[in-house]
Amino acid sequence: MKISYRWLREYVDTDLPPAELADRLTNAGIPVEGITPLVEGLGGVVVGEIEAIERELEESRPGHVNRLCRVALPDRKLSVICGAPNVAPGLRTALAPPGATLPGGRAISIATIRGTRSEGMLCSEKELGIGDDSAGILALPADAPLGTDLVTYLGLDDTIFEIEITPNRPDALSIVGVAREVAAVTGAPFRFPQVSAKEADPEAAALAGVEIADGELCPRYAARLITGLTVKASPPWLAQRLRAVGLRPINNVVDVTNYVMWELGQPLHAFDHATLREGRIVVRRAQPGERITTLDARDRALSPDMLAICDAERPVAIAGVMGGAETEVRAGTTTVLLESACFNGGSVRRTSRALGLSTDAAYRFERGSDIEGVIPAINRAALLLADLGGGTVARGVIDAYPAPRPHTRIALRMERVERVIGAAPPRAEVVRILQALGFAVDDSGAALQVVVPSFRRDIVQEDDLVEEIVRIWGYDKIPLVLAPAGETTSVTRPADQMLADRVGGALAAAGLSECITYSFLDPARLKAMGWDDPARLVALLNPLSAERSIMRPSLVPGLLEVLATNVHRQRPDVRVFETGVTFAPHRETDGDRPAHEELWLAVALTGQRAGRAWHAARERVDVYDAKGMAELALTVAGAPGVTTQPWPAGDEPGYLEPGRAARLLLDGQEVARFGEVAHRVREVFDLAAPAFVAEVCLSTLVARTAAVPRYAALPRFPAVQRDLALLVGAEVTVAQVEAAIRGMAVPWLVEVALFDVYSGSQVGAGKRSLAWSLTYQAPDRTLTDAEVNEAHARVVDELARRFGAEVRGA
Amino acid sequence: MASDPRVQEIHDRALADIAGARSTSDLEQIRVRVLGRSGELTALLRALGTLPAAERPKVGQQANEVKGALEAALAARVDTLRVEERRRAREAERVDLTLPGRYTPPGATHPLTLVLREIIDIFAGLGFSVAEGPEAETDFFNFSALNFPDDHPARDMQDTLHLAGGALLRTHTSPVQIRTMLGRKPPVRTISPGKVYRRDLTDATHSPMFHQVEGLAVDRHITMADLKATLELFAKQMFGARSRLRFRPSFFPFTEPSAEADVLCFKCGGDGCRFCKQGGWLEILGSGMVHPNVLRNVGYDPEDVTGWAFGMGVERIAILKYEVDDIRLFFENDLRFLGQFAPSLSSAKA
Repeated sequence: MKISYRWLREYVDTDLPPAELADRLTNAGIPVEGITPLVEGLGGVVVGEIEAIERELEESRPGHVNRLCRVALPDRKLSVICGAPNVAPGLRTALAPPGATLPGGRAISIATIRGTRSEGMLCSEKELGIGDDSAGILALPADAPLGTDLVTYLGLDDTIFEIEITPNRPDALSIVGVAREVAAVTGAPFRFPQVSAKEADPEAAALAGVEIADGELCPRYAARLITGLTVKASPPWLAQRLRAVGLRPINNVVDVTNYVMWELGQPLHAFDHATLREGRIVVRRAQPGERITTLDARDRALSPDMLAICDAERPVAIAGVMGGAETEVRAGTTTVLLESACFNGGSVRRTSRALGLSTDAAYRFERGSDIEGVIPAINRAALLLADLGGGTVARGVIDAYPAPRPHTRIALRMERVERVIGAAPPRAEVVRILQALGFAVDDSGAALQVVVPSFRRDIVQEDDLVEEIVRIWGYDKIPLVLAPAGETTSVTRPADQMLADRVGGALAAAGLSECITYSFLDPARLKAMGWDDPARLVALLNPLSAERSIMRPSLVPGLLEVLATNVHRQRPDVRVFETGVTFAPHRETDGDRPAHEELWLAVALTGQRAGRAWHAARERVDVYDAKGMAELALTVAGAPGVTTQPWPAGDEPGYLEPGRAARLLLDGQEVARFGEVAHRVREVFDLAAPAFVAEVCLSTLVARTAAVPRYAALPRFPAVQRDLALLVGAEVTVAQVEAAIRGMAVPWLVEVALFDVYSGSQVGAGKRSLAWSLTYQAPDRTLTDAEVNEAHARVVDELARRFGAEVRGA
Repeated sequence: MASDPRVQEIHDRALADIAGARSTSDLEQIRVRVLGRSGELTALLRALGTLPAAERPKVGQQANEVKGALEAALAARVDTLRVEERRRAREAERVDLTLPGRYTPPGATHPLTLVLREIIDIFAGLGFSVAEGPEAETDFFNFSALNFPDDHPARDMQDTLHLAGGALLRTHTSPVQIRTMLGRKPPVRTISPGKVYRRDLTDATHSPMFHQVEGLAVDRHITMADLKATLELFAKQMFGARSRLRFRPSFFPFTEPSAEADVLCFKCGGDGCRFCKQGGWLEILGSGMVHPNVLRNVGYDPEDVTGWAFGMGVERIAILKYEVDDIRLFFENDLRFLGQFAPSLSSAKA
């Protein structure tokens, strides 16, 4: 919100330089985000009068006529060329004579335009830097003193503070509210504006009546009537003040309501009394089907949960949000009914949101307005209207306030202040601060008895007062003192986070880079990957875009996007991983957690396995790299051994290539999966090269691992190693062969390892050679050659028999 | 040396041969010829019995002396020749030691993970445990229990992404405070790192998903002085020993009093620079004393215990620490960006 320093100083005596005042306010919780001079570079511009139009000059461009004007100052006359349409004899306006300067560093000098001399320039609002109007030159009243410096005349030597008021402080959304804060931080005296209006007959109550039908949504509604008004433009000082804080001047009546809102924080509304049926105001909920055309000329449907200001027949305003067009003050209006009311903040907020209508009034009401500020504001506005519009204030305020609200009373213990902030501000300073902020303080007892002013509805308990004290006293006065350690507690970390860290460290050491991708995904891409059942997904109700509207059921889609991003940026070799949460609809086991979340690791690979190096061959990653990364993660996690189980053909998840994907099971439960990315999914992500992924469910794993290793005595007798090569049909799996060997219960066989796989011309089509290394060792003695040979021969014979294979043992 | 001519001859010839040997295998032949099982000197010693008794001790002693001398000469010559042979072998097979070594280059750890780990380590050292909570939350944990009134503009401070059934994506890590306190009695000292979500359009400084770390301390003697001291200790470890913090009053529904904290710009030391936009200070976190209503909402007695809480943006700290100029880089995962956070020899600055 914009605050004018000149306006502020009408209510608090301070001469602090703007920058210092801004610092003091910021350090008291009224953050000043910007300090700017109202106008910059304006110098030497004065009030001048167009005495006569000497002649019209030829068109400078079609339809644009320049005129040579004789402009009068008290001591001289100047000939000035001006192209504005509103030049007219007798008009007083802003004259920049030679030597004057305009914003943007523009210096005015005598100029010759198409052979005619111009001794200066007549200026528009925009050229002066005081407003947006550039349609014509600035029109000043006929009594504007000729020759007066415009800066002085319009009060342009001002500074504008841009203040960010937090939602708990509606009281500070005004000049007076900020002035009160300035008084508290500087100790300078604070004044409240003049609010007593001079009244005359008739009685207001004779002209109008107010009835509140819903006291919950409208606890107070006050009205005043001003008769015999002339609606016209506001005087320059008022118009200028509004422009300075970013408001657009309209007419004296509307301007006064805006002026008082800015000054006191109380939104006001003015009705043309003549348009109110029976002169009555009824504050009630809208009836089904009622409509209103608001001031912005839009027709709006109202609903019964909205509060309406009505006359005897129909809604004439949406309470606290915006007035109606039909009862708007216009040229010719002579009697005005002024509204100053207090509305329920939650109701105004709901209505404003439902209608998509944000206004300065709604902004203030939804934060909570001052129920006692209703009367000073209506009086202040009446006073100004009578002044500026030449009207008469009818006798009496019509004040509907059925249930006066009591003031909050709080006992404040000095010990509590110290207990919370860890420092003890002097009691006298505490009392001064509270009083400066508008609190009444009884200092006679042990605890301070504090009465909260009606405009501070955010203060409801003792600690609220503690904050008031410390923010004015100064956060910098709180010392840095660590609290005593107290009861000893051990420092712990969640097991799944620690696991994710360990696994991530291992994968990074293996050369993979860690990614963090967005948790929301594109439903179209998910569908293409096989997630086509909305009931199994978690969707956002108000996503930023359709492409980011589904919470990820897997980390894979995000990582495929990472592959695509990098491949398309000339990085064809990508090996990445991510650890993070996946989302599925709530399950019973989730308790009070609204969705089912699991911590997963995912890996995605494409391109070459390693960068080009003199010592390594270039090889493309394949499905075994993906499996290997899953196995690495499982190893790091301490999983006690998994089995590989391919899906039955066609049962693979939609994003994996049939026959090129499998699950890893731990005690029959799936803990990981891996495979090649399906060709059609690669097309969706525009990935030309094969890509491979692996996923590990860390949440499942964490509960099943972390067994403490137990020492076994080291073997004392030598081991003997024997190799064997098995030529089998390609359909025989390594797992089958290994299971067969291990299942034979061969004496002294302690280790079985596959060390070579060969298929090709030397073994014939449809065949594979699997080479194994078997280790024999006895715990209690050195084995003889004969013993080992016999055991090994058993393995060779059994394999030959079992797989009908040719076996060469060595 | 020896007076016996046979001994002397063996000695002299062997020494000359040793001196003339060209390789260690030559030397081995000499050793076998003279000192081997059937070597000249061995044979002589075996034949001592055939000598006259009076000569035996003398010749025996001389032969043994010569044996010792020859062994020493052999050993010395072997050493010389071995050095020479190794030198020749090295020359025959040159290695270029400037070739890069053989290892698996490590991948990058994401910069946000690096910062998160650093924050967790610092607070672990200060006695804080890590607590976690779900990213999909209920209105109760994210707002109501944290003292956000219904239908109040305070809720606009955090534009929310909603899920079906009244659920939402947590807008801050503060709901973990509630879950932690509901689950246990004081004292509590925890930090809660994690993802949070806001309905913010993406630009250089905004992301609809980002990371926060929440801190919470509740005990009998927790004060704002403790909050300031703890966070200043954190800042000194995170940003350097000369770091200082500045606290400004602010508003959060769940703290009272509330404070924003700025760290003294560690680029310019507070003089004002491009980095701190000439202000000398960098905004890093929001904090305050846990609101008595929040303590009551979890069944704690605000007369019995007090607490403080803070929340900081991890991206914000990473941006400051690594001088990253666009928050989107963290989620784009371009390897050229991530690679800058991987240990690497080649990127070491000259």
